[in-house]
Amino acid sequence: MSRVADIRFLVQHAIRVEMRNKHGIAGLAVFAIAAVYTCYQATGMHAERESWNALAWVVLLFTAFNAVSKPWADDAPEMRSFLLHTVRPQNWLLARIVYYSLMLLALGALIFAAFLLFLGLDPFVGNGIFYFFIGIEATALALASLLAMIQALATRAGGGFSLIAVLGLPLIIPVILVATRYGMDIMKGIAFGDTAHHLLFLATLTGGFTALGYILFPYLWRE
Amino acid sequence: MIQRSWKIGGLALLGYVLCMIFLVPLGPGLLELTDTKTADLVVGVEHQVPVYALTGFGTHWSETPENLTVVLRHGNQLAALPLIEVIDATHALVGMDLPYTVPSKSWDVLVTHPIDGTLLLENGLFLSDRFINEQAAWDNPEISEFLAELPFHFPYQPRIVETIRNLMLHVPMWFTMFLLMGIGFVASIRQLSSANDLNFDAKAEASVQIGLLFGTLGLITGSLWARYTWGAWWVDDPQLNGALVTVLVYAGYLILRATIQDVRLRARLSSVYNLFAFVILIILLMVLPRFSESLHPGKGGNPGFNSYDLDSSLRAVFYPAVLGWMMLGTWMYQIRLKESIVERKLRQLR
Amino acid sequence: MSHMFLQINPLEGFFFGSGKAMVVAGVALIILAGLGYWLVRMETRLQRMNDSLDEKLNDSQNQSS
Repeated sequence: MSRVADIRFLVQHAIRVEMRNKHGIAGLAVFAIAAVYTCYQATGMHAERESWNALAWVVLLFTAFNAVSKPWADDAPEMRSFLLHTVRPQNWLLARIVYYSLMLLALGALIFAAFLLFLGLDPFVGNGIFYFFIGIEATALALASLLAMIQALATRAGGGFSLIAVLGLPLIIPVILVATRYGMDIMKGIAFGDTAHHLLFLATLTGGFTALGYILFPYLWRE
Repeated sequence: MIQRSWKIGGLALLGYVLCMIFLVPLGPGLLELTDTKTADLVVGVEHQVPVYALTGFGTHWSETPENLTVVLRHGNQLAALPLIEVIDATHALVGMDLPYTVPSKSWDVLVTHPIDGTLLLENGLFLSDRFINEQAAWDNPEISEFLAELPFHFPYQPRIVETIRNLMLHVPMWFTMFLLMGIGFVASIRQLSSANDLNFDAKAEASVQIGLLFGTLGLITGSLWARYTWGAWWVDDPQLNGALVTVLVYAGYLILRATIQDVRLRARLSSVYNLFAFVILIILLMVLPRFSESLHPGKGGNPGFNSYDLDSSLRAVFYPAVLGWMMLGTWMYQIRLKESIVERKLRQLR
Repeated sequence: MSHMFLQINPLEGFFFGSGKAMVVAGVALIILAGLGYWLVRMETRLQRMNDSLDEKLNDSQNQSS
């Protein structure tokens, strides 16, 4: 099988397993919306742009951590030893990243829509909404590329959710730092061209994490 | 003996550095020029003149006070202030004998004395009660700026003052941490390429532990300094955030190690994480600060080695200090490594 | 500027006085304390290793006799 076919099969399989039992993904969506609603109540229903920005990224971050802490059906020992002999570990990692990317892209869009619904569009000027949305999706990709690796590492170590948080949160801080700065720039009405280097930096991080994971995943995966 | 010589050399360097840190004096400088809110009728002048208090640091004004000159500067406009009364070596009163119409509100203050040379207080004077006319031109007096021949001293820098000596204590902590994390990085790579040899894993663990010790010391010393220079124990600054997050990432490394029981799996997984951690360290401490502005000394958007505006006296102590602390760190790493190897052998004994 | 803080409390004044020289002393003390902590911990570890070695030697002697 070619690499693309491999990855497509693995992703399709993961989605099929997910769809067979929808409460996992539904739970994530409910978590995201409930978190946004909590923010709406906590800010007293009229968020300044500083809190709007901060809350959006924090909710995205926590939803992402929740998403990856869901047990992966194919991580069961018997399934793993089957995949170990049939799929190249690199393809398996790329499939995970693609799957998490799809999931976080969808969740990011959902969170952004919920934010617009509850906290309003007051902070945005001009095309700001559009650029902010691009920022959310770029951050979702960066989170997916790193957390896919961290999730695999924590699963292999047998540490569960707390280990994902301990290992992942510090590693994720550069992404969040850049993302919040980008969001603030957009809300201040700074021209997109002058703050686009943040997006470039996010894309570089995504590429870097993927490449690093691509090199290192085989060591993680083998017995 | 020959193998140990570099350790003795490292200790000797540190001894030299510590002596220099506490024995070399600081050069003279100007602390402030403040309005005393009093006006005096000065002899020879027929109007009331506001009196300002000039405070110096390590100056020698009480010797030949008649040779002390104070000049204001804005762009290329100069104004000499002839009315000076020296109180002691570091305090003087200056009569602000200026016309009512001045070209600017903010002025640099230049103070010249035969022993201290010309000292500069940038934007040291702010005139709020004068009429501003940018066209007002004065006949500029002739002034001679010169640098005094002082004995070996560290340069005076505004706000930093004596704490410039921390350059040899706080900064090498981070350099040593870089070195040790680099050792850990190389050890982790070699661990991954040789799965059956656990020695590299022990090396990586020992170097990260010692590196974390140095990183923590760097954080605490930096925090103390920040409290008395910036006024807060912690400020939001890319350099500081990067340092804290790096320490957290490596703390995660030790936590990961503690979670895994199987020795071989632990060696492999922690090596993988260590490679991630080192890449993050590079991003946080070398790449991100370049993207953003920072208050941290020596960091005008460029965190490089040479950007510390080091003069020759600082270099003469800073480079030995970095080398000495690195040698001490490497030595500590070797001790920790030997200890962990012995511990492993002890466990295999039964 | 620095003079303003002198009146707040004696400890703060101690650190601000005479061009903040005491901050340097504080920093040096913190570093020495950190290195000292490391030395003490290393000694405790070595002591523990020595004790367990003694224990093992005793065990093996008891078994052989």
